Amino acid sequence: MDQKSIRNFCIIAHIDHGKSTLADRLIELTGTLRKDKIIQQVMDSMDLERERGITIKAKAVRLGYHSGAGELFRLNLIDTPGHVDFSYEVSRTLVACEGAVLVIDATQGIQAQTLANIYIAMEHNLEVIPVINKIDLPGSEPEHVMKEIETVLGYKSSEVLLISAKTGQGVSELIEAIVNRVPPPAGRSDLPLRALIFDSHYDDYKGVIAYIRVVDGVMETGAKLRLMGQGTHLEVLELGYFAPGPTPEDRLEAGEVGYIATGLKSVKECRVGDTITLASGGARQPLIGYELPKPMVFAGIYPTQADEYADLREAIEKLNLNDASLTFEPESSPILGQGFRCGFLGLLHLDIVVERLEREFGLSLVVTVPGVKFMVTKTNGERLAVTSPVDFPEPTEIQKTEEPWVGISIITPSGFIGALMDVMQEYEGAYKHTEYLGQITVMGEESQRVRLEYEMPLRSMLTTFYDSLKSRSRGYASLDHEFLGYREARLVKLDVMVNELKVDAFSRIIPPEKAHDTGKSVVSKLKEVIPRQLFKVPIQAAVGSRIVAREDISARRKDVLAKCYGGDITRKRKLLEKQKEGKKKMKMIGRVEVPKEAFLEIMKLG
Amino acid sequence: MRESIGLYLHFPFCRRRCYYCSFVSTENREQDIPVYLECLKREISNHSGRFHLKSIYFGGGTPSLMTAGQFAELFDCIGQAFTIDKQAEITVEMNPGMLTSGYMEDLRNCGVNRLSIGVQSLNDDELGLLGRLHTASEALAAFRTACRSGFDNINMDLIYGLPGQGIETWEKTLNLAASLGPRHLSLYCLSLEATAILAGQIEAGILPPLDPDMAAGQYELAEAMLDGYGYRHYEISNWAKPGYECRHNLSCWLMEPYLGLGVAASSYLEKHRRTNVACLDEYIYLVCSGAAMLIETDEETGCDLQLAEAVILALRLENGADIARFNREYGIDLLKHYSCQISELVDLGLLSRKENSLSLTPKGRLLGNEVFWRFLPEQPS
Ligand SMILES: Nc1nc2c(ncn2[C@@H]2O[C@H](COP(=O)(O)OP(=O)(O)OP(=O)(O)O)[C@@H](O)[C@H]2O)c(=O)[nH]1
Ligand code: SF4
Repeated sequence: MDQKSIRNFCIIAHIDHGKSTLADRLIELTGTLRKDKIIQQVMDSMDLERERGITIKAKAVRLGYHSGAGELFRLNLIDTPGHVDFSYEVSRTLVACEGAVLVIDATQGIQAQTLANIYIAMEHNLEVIPVINKIDLPGSEPEHVMKEIETVLGYKSSEVLLISAKTGQGVSELIEAIVNRVPPPAGRSDLPLRALIFDSHYDDYKGVIAYIRVVDGVMETGAKLRLMGQGTHLEVLELGYFAPGPTPEDRLEAGEVGYIATGLKSVKECRVGDTITLASGGARQPLIGYELPKPMVFAGIYPTQADEYADLREAIEKLNLNDASLTFEPESSPILGQGFRCGFLGLLHLDIVVERLEREFGLSLVVTVPGVKFMVTKTNGERLAVTSPVDFPEPTEIQKTEEPWVGISIITPSGFIGALMDVMQEYEGAYKHTEYLGQITVMGEESQRVRLEYEMPLRSMLTTFYDSLKSRSRGYASLDHEFLGYREARLVKLDVMVNELKVDAFSRIIPPEKAHDTGKSVVSKLKEVIPRQLFKVPIQAAVGSRIVAREDISARRKDVLAKCYGGDITRKRKLLEKQKEGKKKMKMIGRVEVPKEAFLEIMKLG
Repeated sequence: MRESIGLYLHFPFCRRRCYYCSFVSTENREQDIPVYLECLKREISNHSGRFHLKSIYFGGGTPSLMTAGQFAELFDCIGQAFTIDKQAEITVEMNPGMLTSGYMEDLRNCGVNRLSIGVQSLNDDELGLLGRLHTASEALAAFRTACRSGFDNINMDLIYGLPGQGIETWEKTLNLAASLGPRHLSLYCLSLEATAILAGQIEAGILPPLDPDMAAGQYELAEAMLDGYGYRHYEISNWAKPGYECRHNLSCWLMEPYLGLGVAASSYLEKHRRTNVACLDEYIYLVCSGAAMLIETDEETGCDLQLAEAVILALRLENGADIARFNREYGIDLLKHYSCQISELVDLGLLSRKENSLSLTPKGRLLGNEVFWRFLPEQPS
């Protein structure tokens, strides 16, 4: 097909503004798939995604379209991940497009990630088509949102489309707009091959499948290729596009989007963002600077039962084949035994990994309190990267500590400014700036919306911050964050002792002035979740040798002995057997039986 | 030679269900009693000729809902099927209310020589909370009538650990009960299955939750008080004047064989633990259709399990597990066989190791399950 008839675009949106629903409608309206075949949203393909309503892996679909003027177009729709944890992937996806449909919910207006997304789109010179979605909803306020788009984003109302992704209203007009406004791809088929990997996944049969955008040259089955960033050599075993199922083809020309099966064993050998060229006589200049997404959040993952360590290793290795941004290295803890210190892109990424390990591999896991990477300069000049509280040096050995900071952007109805300022103060946020957006109706009242800018330590964000923010704004505030860099910090290690035994899994790094409060909340939570034992169990929180909080779990005095009636010994024994099985699910901290849930609860405290 | 055993008969009818009940019993089914007794007789006859009875125990439910005539017929049937030891202990459980001395005398004439009265509490508020159909004075009257009718060996069942029950009302009930001098007292700590009405009331916040610490205090109080009244604490939940220990139950705890008949009744014969179906209608249907099997579960206890059960049951008793007996019957040295468990439990202060026996400490009697599960064999997974 003529390059002039190709349009490569993506849809960007704040969570739940209707990205996946719109994708379904586009696929349906272009006749790529009949309506009855669209089993819910085709683009979100993993179960987990469907449950959480979050798009984790980008996919690309080719849509055929006859324009109003009777011309045939080929539209490549590239789906983007919807969460900041995966913002590196989003930015790579955008590089593969010439245009972006920016979806804004008519009932919610511009939200934090709407802005984050549009900034990236503008950075990559994409043609942005703003649309207001969900206009079918009774509470929708397209006029207000329109005004907001005009004032905040600077688009003219004539450039903005009104649609309902649900009913299909306005979607045909949107397709026309995509065809007319998004420029065709600019590359040249006669130049040496250059293709961008914007996503990849591991397939048991075909090895790594890379999703690619051919920028220059032609990609052909059987071609011998080289990754310019990583230097990996590979051969194209299969090549094709999605419509929406995989459809093999012989060649993909400049401007096209599709996939190649590489036979490679791990996505680590074929990273997103790298440029593919021919093994010999290839291009000189890669398309973009290619970098590895850096893990920002670290936590220890341990099997509940020590004998599942080997299974855990195998499971993590397997997941890693498909998730190159997950890092892991063996770690051992006196209490938890053998496990791994893992690095994640963010808390959501951590959640997803743990859930997959438990669900897909049937493991029972204990996860330690998530933390960041601290840079510690010791008095002897040595510089350490500390990702586990265990490795945090004694106060006397520390000359300087640095920790990562993030820039925070919160969009909220102005009525919540006071409450959110309190939240930010509580979580060590530093105020930067306020910006006024448009009006919107909140709980039946006209309300001014504002964008608050703060800076805060990432460490602080990993605690209960998000929940506080949501609850104090009654769900109205939306949040976005970006990494700023390392800054000097004053921090200490808070240790937790259960029955005089220091439990590394509960340790955390905090500012000294928070030691008392945090210590208190940790020990009282533990008192709540650890069942009474046969002896008294003191629970203490300490900084160095100074105890900052203490609770005692009193000894259990009596258990329930059911009446042993009619000589039914079997029934009684079954109850005892259940009790015995229950003990096996406990993690032993010295002599104290601690249910796995305790670790989860403490992790939630942050 | 006929095998000597204990016989248990289950009677699954009550006038109304108590609020804490999770026993196998029904309410509003009294019209089915005659049919049920017919079934029971058939089941008795099925075992005809095999056993010599050392003890008979009518449990329920409320066996005292049977008329004297129905008792007499049942005993005839038992007498035809089995031989009954001259010294046999024959117990009937009963609930206070509507028990005349005439009725009790008739029972005595049938051969019944031990009564177990479900007193539960001698405080009317508590009886109301438990959903019992009698008052404290009716319970006392039942006891007196029983004595007057010539019964010497009488047990009272009492319950402690009620929601909101303090130490004082328990002390009063206990004092009053002990001062009457029943030969035997069974004290049960209230435990509720999710289906019990009381469990629902606690869940709904109408009643305070069960308080195990209070229950522990109440138990310790009972131990001290009943000792003062001259009772021996011969089993975790049972106290008796010397010589009045319940022989039927003792033989269960010593792993001697017993036959259980009726709905949900359990047997232990030839190393098999069997339990009859628990549903009244199913039981009647099976017997009426001439089914040979009324059994819901049948488990052959292997050596491991027999040993574990024997230890667990023996530990319930004051004298504990007799090392010589285990040597004799199982050919093992308990102290060696369970050395890990024993040293852990001794460390925890739950078990005491004497020269000839192992027994629960006072603390261990309160935390029996913690001791027992440790003796269970590993499950084949
Ligand atoms: N009434 C109405 N509901 C819509 C419309 N578009 C989407 N929705 C609903 O809004 C919710 C979120 O839609 P999705 O398409 O899953 O949103 P998303 O942006 O893909 O969400 P993430 O994948 O989590 O980023 C779903 O319940 C949709 O059914 C619309 O036009 N009208
Ligand atoms: S008398 Fe006993 S069996 Fe009958 S309902 Fe009350 S507790 Fe249950």
